[in-house]
Amino acid sequence: MGSSDEKVVAVIMVGGPTKGTRFRPLSLNIPKPLFPLAGQPMVHHPISACKTIPNLAQIYLVGFYEEREFAMYVSAISNELRVPVRYLREDKPHGSAGGLYNFRDLIMEDNPSHIFLLNCDVCCSFPLPEMLEAHRRYGGMGTILVIKVSAESASQFGELVADPVTNELLHYTEKPETFVSDRINCGVYVFTPDIFTAIQGVSSQRKDRANLRRLSSFEALQSATRSSPSDFVRLDQDILTPLAGKKQLYTYETMDFWEQIKTPGMSLKCSALYLAQFRLTSPNLLASGDGTKSATIIGDVYIHPSAKVHPSAKIGPNVSISANARIGAGVRLISCIILDDVEIMENAVVTHAIVGWKSSIGKWSRVQAEGDYNAKLGITILGEAVGVEDEVVVTNSIVLPNKTLNVSVQDEILL
Amino acid sequence: MKALILVGGFGTRLRPLTLSVPKPLVEFANKPMILHQIEALKAVGVTEVVLAINYQPEVMLTFLKEFETKVGIKITCSQETEPMGTAGPLALARDKLIDGSGEPFFVLNSDVISEYPFKEMIEFHKAHGGEASIMVTKVDEPSKYGVVVMEETTGQVDKFVEKPKLFVGNKINAGIYLLNPSVLDRIELRPTSIEKEVFPKIAAEKKLYAMVLPGFWMDIGQPRDYITGLRLYLDSLRKKASTKLATGPHIVGNVLVHESAKIGEGCLIGPDVAIGPGCVVEAGVRLSRCTVMRGVRIKKHACISSSIIGWHSTVGQWARVENMTILGEDVHVCDEIYSNGGVVLPHKEIKSSILKPEIVM
Repeated sequence: MGSSDEKVVAVIMVGGPTKGTRFRPLSLNIPKPLFPLAGQPMVHHPISACKTIPNLAQIYLVGFYEEREFAMYVSAISNELRVPVRYLREDKPHGSAGGLYNFRDLIMEDNPSHIFLLNCDVCCSFPLPEMLEAHRRYGGMGTILVIKVSAESASQFGELVADPVTNELLHYTEKPETFVSDRINCGVYVFTPDIFTAIQGVSSQRKDRANLRRLSSFEALQSATRSSPSDFVRLDQDILTPLAGKKQLYTYETMDFWEQIKTPGMSLKCSALYLAQFRLTSPNLLASGDGTKSATIIGDVYIHPSAKVHPSAKIGPNVSISANARIGAGVRLISCIILDDVEIMENAVVTHAIVGWKSSIGKWSRVQAEGDYNAKLGITILGEAVGVEDEVVVTNSIVLPNKTLNVSVQDEILL
Repeated sequence: MKALILVGGFGTRLRPLTLSVPKPLVEFANKPMILHQIEALKAVGVTEVVLAINYQPEVMLTFLKEFETKVGIKITCSQETEPMGTAGPLALARDKLIDGSGEPFFVLNSDVISEYPFKEMIEFHKAHGGEASIMVTKVDEPSKYGVVVMEETTGQVDKFVEKPKLFVGNKINAGIYLLNPSVLDRIELRPTSIEKEVFPKIAAEKKLYAMVLPGFWMDIGQPRDYITGLRLYLDSLRKKASTKLATGPHIVGNVLVHESAKIGEGCLIGPDVAIGPGCVVEAGVRLSRCTVMRGVRIKKHACISSSIIGWHSTVGQWARVENMTILGEDVHVCDEIYSNGGVVLPHKEIKSSILKPEIVM
């Protein structure tokens, strides 16, 4: 099993601009995968987890954003991690399996023995080396990262049943109406190159079916092409469901944290989870201070080296401050993400909020929310270049870019 | 001259402040409400003030003894054993008000704050030679009040119209009267209303005259009006005795700071703020349109607007207190808490934010 020179590649699905609309208004300014969590772009977390895989040869990001949106990031991260990272642009969405298949020649270029496939919008500890080890033990075509969740929340995800002894995937169903299992798909997989054969199988079946219909009825063709063109292959319904119980797919259960990052509110929670993980993985990224020479720091806080924070400010827990932000005297920040070039003036308070790029928060003003990550207005979000004037209070609200607030608002979405 | 101040009941409209102190003793601009009136009365030569009160005379009397010597005026209480309306207390205090001199006496509603132009009122009263004078004040919405219909040049009152649906005038009873002793003969010892039963009869005999109150007027019997009243009072103080107002780079507009209060660095205070004795306002605090009572501590970076902070309360670091928040005595707002219109009864600790106006028992 597994010789030491076997190469591994990782593919991270990053989606595209028509996806992730629930991430507005933050995704109006930046591709969601580049939105910072714990001060690092969302996609940085799976990428740095990939770095822990032995014999990693290459990381591919697959999505349908414009090339230029990822160009800078991809070159910077390649340098930083000393692993080639390349962005592959799909001409249109192909589904997660279809997207992988689309670039099979590039992915197989180095003749890897294993291919990791990760979704960018999940937040977890990505125990990739452990998964690979388990996968080699199981000897199947693929291993899926799974986690146990509450029975009530399971139906929002892909529910699955695994053999308690062998860990073989016995049953898989995407977002069922009735309860099937409290074990769910985390959106992180490792496959052997045989996965391409499986995807090809689905794809050619589709073509055959479409051809059959074309002969029999023009209408059938229409409906068939609209619902599933032959090159659109979903990993869950089209691959996992049919292959379950065929001794080809196995599961690896994580006992760590796992969340899906669909909304800005969840990004704040995930930022906290990644900050907490930094304690174990990168303690050097966490700020410290007691208010003498630098600001008082409470709990896990990330401050970009270029940000200026006044020593009389008090920051944390769960705060990340991005590049060139300026935090004035006597400012209090609790559970928030402060993006690039934000200015927060004296004695302002920001709690349970995300403050967009170049925004400005006036003296004694207050940007706050109740902190319910799942509620629509549970986290206050200020889009890019929002101005909050002195002494104004913004509570449980979402403010779209380039607005200036000179009166207090509560429970509102401001277009 | 003598004066009767109608103090009345429990001051429920000014709770939770009046749960700790009888209403006349609640400070307004760093002075018990009633002392504003007593001092103004003393200034025009009133020698004895009778307080018509129907609860807690013991608490009142202790304080009144102190005022008697301080102001140099005799203060007594006339206690109602049952609510007597607005005229009944006059009959009850009859013996205290009549001294044989035949001089008119003042009657004041204790909730009313104004520049108390008693001197002008005495002159007005002497000039018209009638039996009773009342002060009236212009209001924007007369339909909410009892309107006094009067002859504009002489001030002779024609009639009273309670909450008129059609416009009959914009001048309302300001709750300040100067009455000849003979008015007492018109009042029976039973619960009666001076506006509804006594004045209409005097008006019918053309012996009631109204004088338009110069300057501001406010009934400060409830928190919102108390805060507005402070603004009007400080505006007036600016014109009359501006040296009493605080000055400095950290002061905006009209601000009253007790000499024993301490203000930290980097604060911005005002407009329309009163800070009571022994208060500590730490660094970086913002105060506007608020009253901070005796012994309060406002911790660093807190921000308070349009609120009343009761005696010996504390407001934590980075807390925000606004929108008619009223903290009773000894209330503690923890660090970083937000209160939007919280009305908090005495001796409470506020550990979670109040997002919408509510009463905290």
